[in-house]
Amino acid sequence: MFHNIISNIDGVELYGIISICIFFAFFTGMLVWAGRLKKNHLKAMADLPLDDGSRPGQSPEKTQS
Amino acid sequence: MNTNVETFKYDNRIVRAFAIATIVWGIVGMAAGLLAAVQLFFPEANLNLQFITFGRIRPLHTNAVIFAFVGNGMFTGIYYSLQRLCKARMFSDFLSAFNFWGWQLIIVAAALTLPLGYTTSKEYAELEWPIDIAITIVWVAFSVNLFGTILKRREKHMYVAIWFYIATAVTVAVLHIVNSMEMPWGWMKSYSMYAGVQDALVQWWYGHNAVAFFLTTPYLGLMYYFLPKAANRPVFSYRLSIIHFWGLIFIYIWAGPHHLLYTSLPDWAQSLGMVFSIMLIAPSWGGMLNGLLTLRGAWDKVRQDPMLKFMVVAVTAYGMATLEGPALSIKSVNSLSHYTDWTIAHVHTGALGWNGFLTFSMLYWLFPQLYRTKLWSIKLANYHFWISLLGMMFYIVPIYVAGVTEGLMWKQFTKDGFLQYPNFLETIVHVVPMFRLRAIGGTLYLLGMVLMAYNLYRTAKSGKFEPETEAQAALLPRGRETGVGFHRLLEGKPLFFTVLSIVAILIGGIVEVIPMYLIKSNIPTIANVKPYTPLEVLGRDLYIREGCLGCHSQMIRPFRSETARYGDYSKAGESVYDHPFLWGSERKGPDLAREGGKYPDAWHFNHMDDPRSTSPGSIMPRYSWLLTQALDTNSLPARLKALRKVGVPYPDGFENGPAQQDLSAQAARVVQDLKLGAVTAAPDREIIALVAYLQRLGTDINLAPAATPVAVK
Repeated sequence: MFHNIISNIDGVELYGIISICIFFAFFTGMLVWAGRLKKNHLKAMADLPLDDGSRPGQSPEKTQS
Repeated sequence: MNTNVETFKYDNRIVRAFAIATIVWGIVGMAAGLLAAVQLFFPEANLNLQFITFGRIRPLHTNAVIFAFVGNGMFTGIYYSLQRLCKARMFSDFLSAFNFWGWQLIIVAAALTLPLGYTTSKEYAELEWPIDIAITIVWVAFSVNLFGTILKRREKHMYVAIWFYIATAVTVAVLHIVNSMEMPWGWMKSYSMYAGVQDALVQWWYGHNAVAFFLTTPYLGLMYYFLPKAANRPVFSYRLSIIHFWGLIFIYIWAGPHHLLYTSLPDWAQSLGMVFSIMLIAPSWGGMLNGLLTLRGAWDKVRQDPMLKFMVVAVTAYGMATLEGPALSIKSVNSLSHYTDWTIAHVHTGALGWNGFLTFSMLYWLFPQLYRTKLWSIKLANYHFWISLLGMMFYIVPIYVAGVTEGLMWKQFTKDGFLQYPNFLETIVHVVPMFRLRAIGGTLYLLGMVLMAYNLYRTAKSGKFEPETEAQAALLPRGRETGVGFHRLLEGKPLFFTVLSIVAILIGGIVEVIPMYLIKSNIPTIANVKPYTPLEVLGRDLYIREGCLGCHSQMIRPFRSETARYGDYSKAGESVYDHPFLWGSERKGPDLAREGGKYPDAWHFNHMDDPRSTSPGSIMPRYSWLLTQALDTNSLPARLKALRKVGVPYPDGFENGPAQQDLSAQAARVVQDLKLGAVTAAPDREIIALVAYLQRLGTDINLAPAATPVAVK
């Protein structure tokens, strides 16, 4: 029955192949890009949540032990 | 030294408002869940009130936990972290307040309408069309506020948590609008625009991605913000968090069809859903490890700090759920697990463990910040931790046992080739003890939640609320920068980033959705499958109102164990007039796809009045109000017109006269049949319509000589 539905779509067998190709292209590109990011930039990014701009002594976080 | 330093204030009021709403709705949602759980072994717990019967309370529970508890939790965390990550106050205080009050009104509307029986029946999208419109408006307000804040930020780069927030905002909007396409026929009632297979695909594309983009991505953003905050150290690997983000949002959207394995959905879409589900393990586990490894060298803190304890369990539960999900998507595993309580156990690993514990962790950290004090009692928080963990175990483990037992019993054949347990009731009665244990687990978890509410209340009392926190940051330089790379472009340009995120989610969406639209003209219609009669339409709407599909599927899978029990497997062409589809996802009772003609009308009448009179030991609630309530026939023309508009071929003018005559004639026939079984009933009661609908189910195909694909050239 599945074939009854799907075989009427022209070129349906390409769907699976195209999906995998898009996926691999996207993933490879993303990994290469992520791998080439500079260390000091990544460190600066990772430190962002730890500095929220609250004035020294003003930050409630710092009033807690 | 930059001289353009500005002083500004973070808005803490909105954070506190959402935090309180999270706690209040969390208790309500969990209590509703407990009430539903108790009814599974003690059906009388509904007090014979239709408004709190399982079928109506279950959607209330799921909606309350997902959209009220987790939804408010998500807004709490986003409104706190976004301001600080952007070094800017929220874009508009009015929009913040609009978002808050709008969301609470939607929740109240849901809490009123679902018990009253106003439901679309589409899981996690049960709310009717006026509320759907309200959700859209409030979500737009939230998104404008989100993007407005990002655009006026004083921090050049967007931290990864913000990426997750952006993906959440845009994807939830797409999902909600596409799945909520419906044709109203009354001020609180509508029919889905889609039917059968199409409706199922859209619904589970939505259902799956609502888990992804409502329960997962915003909470991952919160994890990437609050975990480093609590541990006071940066995330283990920022590179890994980038891969986590893009991998997750790109793959997640493809995996929806894994909810429809072995159904009438095209095989091709099922396999694609399965493969992408398995690939999801990679980014999910990357994210989990990233979270856990952030605590490297700080595990001593975990012992002392309840906030970190909750966080560690949350991240671990995320890992467990995201390993189990792909496992359940493997077709052979799914053939056993689908329709059983295994799925319920799986979602509760996510809901109780991941969302619940992460919310608790965040709230324990936030309240002392907002009230500039210390947590009132660390000891009580530790009690909460252990009680909740124990509650979670008592919930999940028995339900796993129940799920696997159900699956195995349904498939068990004797050596002579007959079903070992031909009576469905036997299999469900067997796992009732597990339902009892589950209710104990739920009670413990709820108790923990109450302890937290008390602890946070005392914390608030012991401190002084700080409505605004003053902060300073330099203005961003205006104009073009030199030497920007792709990454800088991505992190520095929110609109460009948003477009890329939308492209990433749409690729998967389009690949899933295009064949679905092609299917419409290619579905093998079955000549004898005809639209429902007027009386059956009313009966079907009652089936929806009572939430019958919470326990009864209408989709027989092509397995010998199912065809032997229920009859011929379900064909796609059989649900072409089903607006909405009612395949269901769970069996606490037998499948009803071929219920028609199995029992006499009088059996159904007696069974609805008191299920235990016909089926001793049944856990189904009584539906005695159906016997006394008058059938609403006044709205019949509006219903038929709406159905015609969405494609059901009722002749023009059918609703003016002929439909009423047809209805009266069929009702009279049902009354006659009931008399044969020594039951006297008036023809204008709701039960008559419901019996007519149940007797129609799956019978058309038996009259058909052969299935003839209409679209074959």
